[in-house]
Amino acid sequence: MATVFIPVQGTEEEVRVALDQLPADASDILDILKAEQAPLHLWLIIAREYFKQGKIEQFRQILEEGSGPEIDEYYADVKYERIAILNALGAFHTFLGKVERAQQKEVHFKEATQYYNRASRIDETEPSTWIGRGQLCVVKGELQMASDSFKIVLDEDGNNFPALLGQASVYFLMGDAEQQHKKAVDYYRNSLDLYKRALRAYTSCPAAVRLGIAFCRYKLGQPDKARQAFQRVLQLDPENIDALVALAIMDLQSNEAGGIRRGMEKMRRAFEIYPYCTLALNHLANHYFFTGQHFVVEQLTETALSSSNHGLLKSHAFYNLARSYHSKGDIETAGRYYMASVNEISKPQDFVLPFFGLGQIQLKFADYKSSLTSFEKVLEVHPENCESLKAIGHIYAKSGENDKAIETFKKVTRIDPKDHQAFMELGELLVQSDWAAAMEYLKTARNLLKKAGEKIPIELLNGIGLLHFEKGEFEMAEQSFKEALGDGFWASIIDGRVVSSVVNWSVQYRDQSFFHQLEEGMPLELPWDKVTTLFNYARLFEELHDIVKASLFYRLIIFKYPDYIDAYLRLAAIAKERNNLQLSIELIGDALKIDDKYPNALSMLGSLELQGDETWLTAKEHFREAKDATEGKDTYSMLQLGNWNYFAANRPEKKAPKFEATHREKAKELYSNVLKQHRGNMFAANGIGILYAEKAQWDIAKELFTQVHEAASGSIFVQMPDVWINLAHIYFAQGFFQQAVKMYQNCLRKFFYNTDATILLYLARTHYEAEQWQDCRKTLLRAIHLAPSNYLLRFNVGVSMQKFSASTLQKTKRTVDEVRATVSELQNAIRVFSLLSVASTYHSHGFDERKIETHVEYCKHLLDAAKVHRDAAEQAEQQNKQKMEVARQITLADQARRKAEEQRKAQLERRKQEDELKQVMQQEQHFERVKEQWKTSSNTPGKRKDRSKQEDEEGGSEKRRRKGGRRRKDQKTKTQYGEEEEDEYRDEQDAEDDYGNMARGNNGDNSEKAPGHLLAAAGLEDSDAEDDDMGHPQSAIERKRRAWSESEDDEPVQRPVQPSAGENDLSD
Amino acid sequence: MKLAGLKSVDGAHDESIWAAAWVPAADHRPTALLLTGALDETVRLWRPDDLASAAPPVQGHALGVVSLSAHPAGAIAAAVSLDSYVRVFDVDSGASVATLDAPPSEVWGIQFHPKGNALAAAGGGSGSVKLWETEKWKPITSLPVPRPEGARPDKTGSGKFVLSVAWSPDGKLLACGSMDGTIAVYDAVRMKFLHHLEGHHMPVRSMVFSPVDTHVLFTASDDCHIHIYDAKEKSLIGAMSGHASWVLSIDVSPDGMAVATGSSDRTVRLWDINTRASVQTMSNHNDQVWAVAFRPPGGTGVRAGRLASVSDDKSISLYDYS
Repeated sequence: MATVFIPVQGTEEEVRVALDQLPADASDILDILKAEQAPLHLWLIIAREYFKQGKIEQFRQILEEGSGPEIDEYYADVKYERIAILNALGAFHTFLGKVERAQQKEVHFKEATQYYNRASRIDETEPSTWIGRGQLCVVKGELQMASDSFKIVLDEDGNNFPALLGQASVYFLMGDAEQQHKKAVDYYRNSLDLYKRALRAYTSCPAAVRLGIAFCRYKLGQPDKARQAFQRVLQLDPENIDALVALAIMDLQSNEAGGIRRGMEKMRRAFEIYPYCTLALNHLANHYFFTGQHFVVEQLTETALSSSNHGLLKSHAFYNLARSYHSKGDIETAGRYYMASVNEISKPQDFVLPFFGLGQIQLKFADYKSSLTSFEKVLEVHPENCESLKAIGHIYAKSGENDKAIETFKKVTRIDPKDHQAFMELGELLVQSDWAAAMEYLKTARNLLKKAGEKIPIELLNGIGLLHFEKGEFEMAEQSFKEALGDGFWASIIDGRVVSSVVNWSVQYRDQSFFHQLEEGMPLELPWDKVTTLFNYARLFEELHDIVKASLFYRLIIFKYPDYIDAYLRLAAIAKERNNLQLSIELIGDALKIDDKYPNALSMLGSLELQGDETWLTAKEHFREAKDATEGKDTYSMLQLGNWNYFAANRPEKKAPKFEATHREKAKELYSNVLKQHRGNMFAANGIGILYAEKAQWDIAKELFTQVHEAASGSIFVQMPDVWINLAHIYFAQGFFQQAVKMYQNCLRKFFYNTDATILLYLARTHYEAEQWQDCRKTLLRAIHLAPSNYLLRFNVGVSMQKFSASTLQKTKRTVDEVRATVSELQNAIRVFSLLSVASTYHSHGFDERKIETHVEYCKHLLDAAKVHRDAAEQAEQQNKQKMEVARQITLADQARRKAEEQRKAQLERRKQEDELKQVMQQEQHFERVKEQWKTSSNTPGKRKDRSKQEDEEGGSEKRRRKGGRRRKDQKTKTQYGEEEEDEYRDEQDAEDDYGNMARGNNGDNSEKAPGHLLAAAGLEDSDAEDDDMGHPQSAIERKRRAWSESEDDEPVQRPVQPSAGENDLSD
Repeated sequence: MKLAGLKSVDGAHDESIWAAAWVPAADHRPTALLLTGALDETVRLWRPDDLASAAPPVQGHALGVVSLSAHPAGAIAAAVSLDSYVRVFDVDSGASVATLDAPPSEVWGIQFHPKGNALAAAGGGSGSVKLWETEKWKPITSLPVPRPEGARPDKTGSGKFVLSVAWSPDGKLLACGSMDGTIAVYDAVRMKFLHHLEGHHMPVRSMVFSPVDTHVLFTASDDCHIHIYDAKEKSLIGAMSGHASWVLSIDVSPDGMAVATGSSDRTVRLWDINTRASVQTMSNHNDQVWAVAFRPPGGTGVRAGRLASVSDDKSISLYDYS
């Protein structure tokens, strides 16, 4: 046991102090040392001993006492020991400064510096002081100053061992800090030389010196020599952690299974020897992270954190922890640890990985700005890191900077032409702007995946399918969707097996018993990631008119995911298209139960309600709600409100001119607002056109309609039949009948498969005005054929035939055939009118009471008028017998011919004969009447106009009246059309928006696998799809309504006609 | 099952052709003939296989022919025109046999009873089906279409407007289709209303019973769908979609395996009843296809199936069905 002997002053005796039995209270020893004026080296020995035993306080106490001013005075000539004590204190504070936290650091460094300064004042050439200073500088990071200090020593003594070591470490650190590789290598080489010199100068030096050599070798890229050096260290000191860990790391870096195993063994051994080696702990944690033992990871890293103050190592430890939580899905905790890890790093070059992780987490929390910064940090270090570039591209895409996003992804594809993700993102970004490029990119992505033999993601196939869909390439679209969906229950819907196997069928789209029934037989599975594609496929089916399959898909989606709001809306649209309004409203109700602020549902509900007599007022509320739900940014709801106002202006019960004007004003304001937001909004332009047309400002209206018409014709996706109709109305109003006819006909054929009776009515009216009676009649007959229950059409046919007859008889030259045709037309007209008048008593249900009344009244009027005419005709016949000789003969001949025919058909029933006779009579009367009128009018040319008017009754005068009335009607229909158009247009817009959202959603999925995105995307998609489809049924229904409302209009117009005819008679 | 185009006659009428019916072979005439009626107010007769004109046009169907039906015995046929007269005439001579009307209402679809002893006509706005016996052409009865229970008040005005009629092949059931899409089914023996078939909400312009399952009814509607009902059990047993516009006419093949439909989307489609799937789409016409008709069995050439379609484009198309 080591002992020291303190000589007792003035004697030869000594006090024996056993070093392992130093008193706990250093004052006891100090008292002895001071009392006996012990030599200073004894002070040092005892202090050092305390230090070794970890008794830092006692160490300090002795040394501080030993460096006090009394000692300086007393031992003034004992230079070396005094310097040693000061240097020891300096080194001590240097160490403290190294381990302490920032603020304390400075205090300790200051102290250390002061001690060294004092030492220098005693003897400024003392090498150990310079070495101490050098070390202090190293710790403070002032490498150049450190180097200077060491050099001073080495200049004196080239083999000064500590100086050599110090200088070597300075070079090594300089090498680490050097950015340029070449210079760094020089530093390492210098360092290596110095270590070698040190080794030569002091061959039995501790093993750690060799560690320096090993690290230099390692840094110089001489792994074998480095390994040898490390192994030599281990030979000398088998428990040298640094060497062990270093070797382990080298093994791990070999990247071979064997190497990694050996590396891990060494790490484990290092851990067993010294469980607080942060580096080893980090590596172990890293290892266990990859083997998935997260619990171990956390334990190891926690130990690592508590046992190290080294920033980089702590950063590694935090990173390990963060990664562990990240992979477990606890992204909030992960985010905190990534942040902690980043905070330990002064510059990203040191350790870049946590920035990547942090970026990912920030992205997930939609903190795009921070995320972008994090990924940019990664790029500072690795400018071609594709993952970070993709993340950045994704962030740009999310924040709407599409151009930047595209540029970024293009860069990725340049760096790695096999990065299918980048191609996919590019494809989706370009979907809206550049169809062909988008397709190209998506296909490249698909081919890359195919080549790599990887599974092609559903979103990719879905995207390709959608592009085909949009381009109208339905077969290709179908293929893609099919491939995306793979095998499943839906396959049996697609091939029709299910359709034919189900016995209990239902077109009640809310009825899910169908699936319950099926589910008993087989499990119905619908993975969430396939829902969007299934939905898109259903939309495709709709486009292909296979509504049955489409509705089954939608119902399947709802069956499995009852919150999928857009499936309800699509079903509602289908029901609406099939005129099942009740069901449609119920389905929208279901949708609103899920989200009562869903603008698309509100808009749909509104437009449905607009069709009901009781509900049209509440429609406004729903449009307004839809507008509010979109914060007024949604042009569709604004258009709808505009339409509503227009509609309201034309409602019969709101006819008060004041209201009418207010509503129109409001409508105009809304349309204009829409136009302000979207200069190219065709539907708003159309609406404004209608308002001008209403004020008979034909030229302005025509200009607007023409422009919209051109724009709409240029786009494949915009279906705007209404602007065609409006334009035709303008042509009509300006008297360009031929153009109007052409426009109506094209519209009918292009948009309605010639099935729209209302447009046929417009067409007939145009023919009528153009005095093309036969065309008018035929057009009306077609309309009746299409809309059998529209009695207005029948009335109009009667009118047109009468008018035809009248005009034929007015001609100065007529062939016998013409007269014959005239007769039969008159017969037909009478038949039509008589059927109409009797029918009015028959429709005790199904009709509006008011309407029936007007019908009845109107028909009575007609009959009365017919009687008046007959009487008049009879009178006239007698008066003008001679003058009418020729005409009479023709009629007689005709009669004779008919009689002969009758005889031939002698076996005909008596009733029929009677009919025939009656008809002949009537015909004759009509004929007479006409002749008479013609005659009188020709006799008195001045009054001719009046007469003919009177004669025409339903024809001429009606025509005139109608002209006024009609223009009105025009406007009305226009407005209604306007509504429709707007609806449809808006649908288009929606579709685009939705698509955009969809694409974005998909992006999100790719990088983040967030199902929420998908849902939202899908939802949006749906909604627009729905709207799209809505347009048609709605317009059909509205048109039907229009037809009726028109008939309402007509009747009131008609009624006053008769009295006016009477007046004419009187005046005559 | 497939269709193969045999012959098309353009300009077969001067105006849109709206109706077509096969007249079965009769004792005095070994082959079936095709009757067509059009907006040009004529009814014309065509030979099978080559569509050669078989008789001069019959005039006088004022305002245009909307429906045709041939008596099962093959001697007479009936035509309905927009002037709402039902004109019964001798097929070969064109001579008038009877002129019926059902005042005060108009008439739309007509069909002879499968045994030929009655003629049923859809009574349009009268909301009823009119029946005549075929010897003296006296009216038998008028079957009103009741309002379905719980039906919402119909303010749109189309109400119960009857458009089409169909007899089941065994003569036991009679169905009539309306503007509002409901179909009324009657016990045709006791002349009693049975029930409504629901599912359509738009006009049902054409209906036909299966020759195999005599209570299975196929319906064509403006809602672009074809429904398959069990008319007796009052249940919807299938729906088929694919037409882009109104389905205007429907007929079932004599073997009961397929139905053909004509649509305003200008196509004729053939449907497999078993798979409920569209198997073929014919695009011979360039305007609305108003009528499709399979040739009834009987007479020479019975083995060869024939389908005729007529259109607003004034043409007739004949197909081989096999």
